[in-house]
Amino acid sequence: MKHLPRASALSAAAVTLLALAACSTTAPSAEGGGGSDDVATGNGVTDSEITIGMLTDLSGPFAAGAAVQVTETQAYWDQVNADGGVCGRDVTVDVQDHGYDPQRAVTLYRSMAPDVIALQQVLGGPTSSAVLPLAEQDDVYVGGVGWAGSALAYPNNQLPGASNAVQAANAVDYMLDELGVAEGSSIGVVYFAGDYGGDSLAGAEHAAEERGVEIVAQEITSQTTDLSAQASALAQADVAGVVLAAAPTQFASLAGVLSSQGADVPIIGMNPTFNPSLLTTPAADALLANAYSITSISPYANTDAPGVQAANDLYAEADPDGAVGWEVPLAYVQAELLKQALDGACESGDLTPEGVVAALGESSSVDTEGLLPDGLDYSNAGQSPTTTVFISKVSADADAGLELLDQVSGPSAESFSYGG
Amino acid sequence: MSELPRKAGGAVLVLVALALPLVLSDFWLQTGLFVMAAAIGAVGLTLLVGVAGQLSLGHAAFAAIGAYVYAYTTGETTTSVTGLGLPPVLGLVLAVGVAALVGAAFSPVAGRLRGIYLGLATLGLVFVVRHLLVNLSDWTGGFTGRSVESFALGGFSFSNRDPDYLAVAGVEFEGLHRLWYLFLVLAVAACWLASNLRAGRTGRAWANVRDSETAAAAMGVGVAQVKASAFVVSSGYAGLAGAMLALAYGRVAPDVFGLTASVDFLVMIVLGGLGSVTGAVVGALFVTALPLVLAQYSSALPFLAAPGSGGLDPSTASRIVYGLAIIAVLVFLRGGLAGAARRLRQRTSTPAAPPAPRTPDDGDRPVAVTTPRSKETTR
Amino acid sequence: MSYLLEQVLNGLSYGLVLSLIAAGFAIVFTSTGVLNFAHGSVVLLGAYLVAVLHPTIGFWPAVLVGMAGSAVTGVLINAVLVRNLADRKPDTAAILMLGVDIVLLTELTRRIGNQVLTLGAPWGASVVRFGDVSLPTGRVLAAGVTVVAFAGLWYLFSRTDLGVGMRAAAADGPTASLMGIRLSRTAATGWALAGVLAAVAGVFLTSFPAPGVAPTVALSAFAAIPAWVLGGFDSVPGAVVGGLVIGLTSALVTGYEAELEPFLGTGFGEVAPYVVMIVVLLVRPSGLLGSKEAVRV
Repeated sequence: MKHLPRASALSAAAVTLLALAACSTTAPSAEGGGGSDDVATGNGVTDSEITIGMLTDLSGPFAAGAAVQVTETQAYWDQVNADGGVCGRDVTVDVQDHGYDPQRAVTLYRSMAPDVIALQQVLGGPTSSAVLPLAEQDDVYVGGVGWAGSALAYPNNQLPGASNAVQAANAVDYMLDELGVAEGSSIGVVYFAGDYGGDSLAGAEHAAEERGVEIVAQEITSQTTDLSAQASALAQADVAGVVLAAAPTQFASLAGVLSSQGADVPIIGMNPTFNPSLLTTPAADALLANAYSITSISPYANTDAPGVQAANDLYAEADPDGAVGWEVPLAYVQAELLKQALDGACESGDLTPEGVVAALGESSSVDTEGLLPDGLDYSNAGQSPTTTVFISKVSADADAGLELLDQVSGPSAESFSYGG
Repeated sequence: MSELPRKAGGAVLVLVALALPLVLSDFWLQTGLFVMAAAIGAVGLTLLVGVAGQLSLGHAAFAAIGAYVYAYTTGETTTSVTGLGLPPVLGLVLAVGVAALVGAAFSPVAGRLRGIYLGLATLGLVFVVRHLLVNLSDWTGGFTGRSVESFALGGFSFSNRDPDYLAVAGVEFEGLHRLWYLFLVLAVAACWLASNLRAGRTGRAWANVRDSETAAAAMGVGVAQVKASAFVVSSGYAGLAGAMLALAYGRVAPDVFGLTASVDFLVMIVLGGLGSVTGAVVGALFVTALPLVLAQYSSALPFLAAPGSGGLDPSTASRIVYGLAIIAVLVFLRGGLAGAARRLRQRTSTPAAPPAPRTPDDGDRPVAVTTPRSKETTR
Repeated sequence: MSYLLEQVLNGLSYGLVLSLIAAGFAIVFTSTGVLNFAHGSVVLLGAYLVAVLHPTIGFWPAVLVGMAGSAVTGVLINAVLVRNLADRKPDTAAILMLGVDIVLLTELTRRIGNQVLTLGAPWGASVVRFGDVSLPTGRVLAAGVTVVAFAGLWYLFSRTDLGVGMRAAAADGPTASLMGIRLSRTAATGWALAGVLAAVAGVFLTSFPAPGVAPTVALSAFAAIPAWVLGGFDSVPGAVVGGLVIGLTSALVTGYEAELEPFLGTGFGEVAPYVVMIVVLLVRPSGLLGSKEAVRV
């Protein structure tokens, strides 16, 4: 080791000389695309095939739900291919597992980026916030990163429905308009530290200001599975309702403890907060009595919407024994959103990563057959594509435990805007 | 052992590392950046734990300080975060300096505690730093973190721009390629410095204090000062590793520097063999690259179930293989990977001779790890 | 006032559950010198066994199987892996346990999936009322069981040959060995005891007010590390005191978050146990009740 520096200095010098001799700073002329038709093509596209990527979590905390999404996504694209594909090409999905580890996500993104036209999903908060800036530099479409408002800052990102802040603002509106919470009362917000929880809190605070209620905030982490202390604090503050931006475990615990303390108040959970298996826990009665769920995406049981019916049928065929839940319509609609962007890029004759991002930025009224609210607007960068959300009641009779009550767009959800 | 093969081997390794960006894909380049950043952190930790005998589970906290100092000093002020906009070189120096200073500030605490107590107290440091990162959001960007200025040296940027196009022997050199060389220089320099420190006066003082504080004090070693110096050096290394990680990611967020990161550093140096600089580098390679490579290539293995089918899928299998690999190394290889390599070398070079006596030049051997410790210091 | 009382009772009952886990850390550490990073997975394993077995064999038999399963797992980890380490050093053993933790946790996570497995505990979501204050029945029971468990441990360590042998082995292994105490037996007992305590803690951590078994339960063991450390590494009574201090701190910091937020920032409940731990270590480097002899590394 001791004599390494001299040797390495020498070799470094030699290589530098060689490198300088071979070095060039003028770019060769751009290569022509591989398409035989009039469409310009780029990364991930050949004459017969389009490759899209999916960075998901198959070995970490979200593994089970992510697996449902992978199955549904594969089934969706198989069906698209059977119907003739996109732009006359078959679509293949490159699925990689980042295990909820940002370092793995970044590395896998690097390996994937040269060979895909777009990423249908980068699952998880820390992972997607590590990948999004890189994808923005490369001008690559990224879908399915969840609903945190921070992702809206990236023009290459497509949010599947209303952002968390809009959901939370709607939750407050709904409590005042439909659930009998009076002006001047207090509303609790129990939220995960992070993008998701922080964005939800911002939306609830905005709505509270608009509607004249007080917010009692309680920050927790995913490790908090016993919410006794939080519930006591909320009961002490005499809250008239609770907005919960956490995970299913916390939903059950909070509902159970509040009810055991005699606090009979509505609890509205944000997007991924409900799981049908909660109805087997001791908190089931409390959930059935008081729990609601606000989602950006139509609940599984809303089969009146043709899109949801199609998604459910496809999943039932792909995996007859699979766990049903909100992941089924979600995966379907994420694939559908990407397909529309790919179609748009194809129509404008630019089937490249940049072309897909451009097509996304031009789509100002996207419909998804009832899977998401109609008329999603992705042309207004930095803002939620819609202010409409789905409100459901926890129900023992509905499939996947959620029965759709209504689609709502409350006044403070509509007046909410990011960055001002 | 002869010096010549070792020297030649080192030169060949460096040459290979210099040439690699010509052939590697982005995946391997990115993996390489993470490995080199982790290696510097691990080398710093092995000086502290292996040589100076102070267990630390708080290495990620110092890495976080380095990363955020770099991001803050070089970043521009935006609507959400503030920054100083200093030149990147200065930012890198400050990252190391501030991390070392915080290490110095913590060393009186470290001086009061020993062994596993110190390890768990430093574990607390990880949580405290994380709490500060999340709450001081004007400087840090809070939970979502902030983006990191790319490194630049005299108008040459280690990113995809400035110059926008640069090719060597027909291969386009983008940000990843350029960072590779920056990291390689830093890594070689850090390893060289660590080897010299370890083999020199400082390293001997650290080892003396580790083996017996009483004896060291009797020999005129300033125990508190020596312990503090190990902490300062190690924190500086962590700070550099953190800044490099920030550069490799292009952004910093508190999640990157959690408990797992701290524990990973410890896994690296124990797997590699405590106190060995080469071991720390090999450990960093193992811990950082193995999960990435398994994630990338495990889907090619035929016997595994498809994701979502409920069987043993590739990703779960790769995680289990990673855990089993750690267990296997510790159960079967004495002295970790470096120890095994050393025995292999001795067996092949001097089959019949007893192990050669240690010379000051033999930089790879853990300093007196096998020396029996006196009773009073072990309990 | 009843609010404060309620938070205090919440904190103390949660703290007692933590002390079961902390005692497991302490017993394994004193009997074999291992910092058991896999303890969280063992807690999860015990709860998981109860959750999957209770529909077929009933809750109480399932709890017995869970305790046995965790105990056997602990004993096997010690016999197969820890005793066969290439370098028998504390830091190597700690990293070994990390490897074990990765394997166990990955497999359990895969098995649990995204379900919240219910435990089928007969006390369900019921609560016990003391005047204005209500406490979940599970927590009251946990407090009772913990007190009984620690009474049992006290009896074991002070009145039985096995327990006295374990203490002797912990105090001075070689000498104890010379006096005819079989170290392999005391070590196995230590790991088994820690496993049993872990399974009991797992049952209480995953029944009401928590909803069921989810992989995050393994992380709750980390919350017990400050409890163990500030109580003293080698002290079972210290684990009880540490658990109570940490439980109380968490509950009060969380319960008064609104009042504390301007000074301490949001989410301080997460950090508070570690801050308490560092402060205690600075004042008493061997913990509240630990002996000065316990430093092994």
